[in-house]
Amino acid sequence: MDAFNYFAMSWLSPELLGLTALGTFLGIYVGAIPGLSVTMAVSILISFTFSWDVNYALCLMVGVYMGGVYGGSRTAILLNIPGAPSAIATALDGYPLAKKGLAGEAIGLSTIMSVVGGFVGIIVLAIAAPTVSEFAITFQPRDYMMLGVLGIMLVGSLSGSSLARGIFAGALGLLIGTVGLDPMTAEERFTFGVVELWDGINPVAVMIGMFGISEALHQLHHMNKAVVKQKISRIIPKWSDIKKYMPLSLQTSFIGVIVGALPGTGGDIAALMAYDHAKRVTKNPKVPFGEGAKEGLIAPESANNAAVGGAYIPMLTLGIPGDAVTAVFIGALFIHGLNPGPLLLIEQPHMFWFTVGNLTLANIFVLIFGLTGIRLFSKIVECPKGILIPLIFLLSIVGAYAINNAITDIWWMLAFGVFGYFMRLYGFPVGPVILGVILSSLTDENWRRAILSERGSVGDLFINLFHSPLSTVLFSVIVLILFTQSPIWTKWLKRKLFR
Amino acid sequence: MSSQSPMIKTRKPGERIFCFLLVLGSVYLFWQAYNISGFSSLSSPGAFPLAASAAMILASCVTFLNTLKVPAAKDVRFVYHCFPPVIATIMALILIYSVVLESLGFILTSFAFLFISIQFLYRRSPLITLAITLFALIVVYIIFRLVFQVVLPEGIVPEREILSSIKSLWR
Repeated sequence: MDAFNYFAMSWLSPELLGLTALGTFLGIYVGAIPGLSVTMAVSILISFTFSWDVNYALCLMVGVYMGGVYGGSRTAILLNIPGAPSAIATALDGYPLAKKGLAGEAIGLSTIMSVVGGFVGIIVLAIAAPTVSEFAITFQPRDYMMLGVLGIMLVGSLSGSSLARGIFAGALGLLIGTVGLDPMTAEERFTFGVVELWDGINPVAVMIGMFGISEALHQLHHMNKAVVKQKISRIIPKWSDIKKYMPLSLQTSFIGVIVGALPGTGGDIAALMAYDHAKRVTKNPKVPFGEGAKEGLIAPESANNAAVGGAYIPMLTLGIPGDAVTAVFIGALFIHGLNPGPLLLIEQPHMFWFTVGNLTLANIFVLIFGLTGIRLFSKIVECPKGILIPLIFLLSIVGAYAINNAITDIWWMLAFGVFGYFMRLYGFPVGPVILGVILSSLTDENWRRAILSERGSVGDLFINLFHSPLSTVLFSVIVLILFTQSPIWTKWLKRKLFR
Repeated sequence: MSSQSPMIKTRKPGERIFCFLLVLGSVYLFWQAYNISGFSSLSSPGAFPLAASAAMILASCVTFLNTLKVPAAKDVRFVYHCFPPVIATIMALILIYSVVLESLGFILTSFAFLFISIQFLYRRSPLITLAITLFALIVVYIIFRLVFQVVLPEGIVPEREILSSIKSLWR
């Protein structure tokens, strides 16, 4: 009964309801406008909402996340520009549909199937998370340390073309996370005698710099891109279409949840895998894939929204992020005094059920806002970058200042923004930096606890790993992931695929 | 697949120098990490930073060595393609904005920053820019200062007095 009360909390409070609606609305536009990312929006929001009651802040951020994942599809359909990476697959058939004059129908269908996907993700989260969490309570410090390592290995998937550049970025993040007084011994680390650095570098300033400032600076390279306008027809899809495509939507939603729950894979990979699945299972599509097949639109849209619920499973139960957005989310939860991990569901079960309820509510708002206001949407999306980019800078600066009402955080944000700009320019991914910052203390502290419990012997630590089935499984997973990210594996895979 | 010509990787102007600076920076950070507690024990406060900075050195060296092998991109200039004047100008504007934010206050500096940067990037008549700036600033101020209660630097504008006199008009 308690669980239900917490689930319904954001539904019954007008303020929480309003904030979720506002967040979802904003998220749809942030996700839709190319150049604005959900990660950027959530990192800026953390700075404005950290002094709020945690429930209020969560409502806004959950709404932005849920709306943002959906929002990317709109520009993918209307302009052939995916607003977010998770909408790349949507553009493949969404835009051809729009060119045939079916933009409205495509938006309507993608909205309904996104919502179906979102619900599947939330249901799986509600069922699976408590079980995963109970299991995770038995974790030893070495297991936590390995979880941290597992999360850090996400750099492999966030690295793009160069793993070395990804490793550099991830290691830099880990190092940034160690700045300040050591929490175990109070020894100074990288403080250079500056008292202001005793508390470390605020992760929010790093996030806003790396995602807000550097992304906006990068957008200045593409100021003159013309926008193609599309005609909007009927938006509410036919009932026969919904019935016809529902089985495919459910199948691809489950793909989305599983892919989303795996560390290192987010909505973008889920959408591409779902698209591939749809191509394989649709024997005789009415319209060929790539030329406006509705199956090609439904599959990625169901999967990327289902991946949101999936990504929440490792985030809330193990404290490890699934992708860059969930890494930022973990940062937000820490700032609000919550400790995402196995104990969250035991010590604060209300937070879990509150989040589940709030995600459900945000998903309903996706349906409402997704099927309305399309004309207003097309006007806002056409907002010139010459106006939009200065506003992003303004919000980033104000956001950084609002963290501690200190100009120091602005300097950090600017430094990371400029550094992040050059990192992007020369092909260094910025996602792993945030990942490193978030996972730094988890890995550092548990590594030291684990090695202390073995009296400083690495040999004993390694041998004792195999006395625990859980540690053995975690260690095997790490070795497996390491192997699949190695050049030997990728070369073998390429050879096999292109034979 | 074999008929397709392979994509030749090229190096952007400044990439080699950037990667070299990363190697130098990583070595410096490794030295700083060593100064925390040396190689005393694996559970010391410096052990993890040492490992992280060692990974940075290794990764930056690999990246730098790769840039030595890759040919430079043709017809690409640092000043035009990597760090064009528009980015340098905007960075300078942000820097000035941040410097004067506390002393002049949010309203004045944000107004000036928005007006100059929108005029610079959007290039429409100053009156249109002024209207956009005022609208954007009012919306941002209402949302963040009045609704979200975010504390923003007041500077030389007697903001509190103005707000209280506006409030008194409603009483």
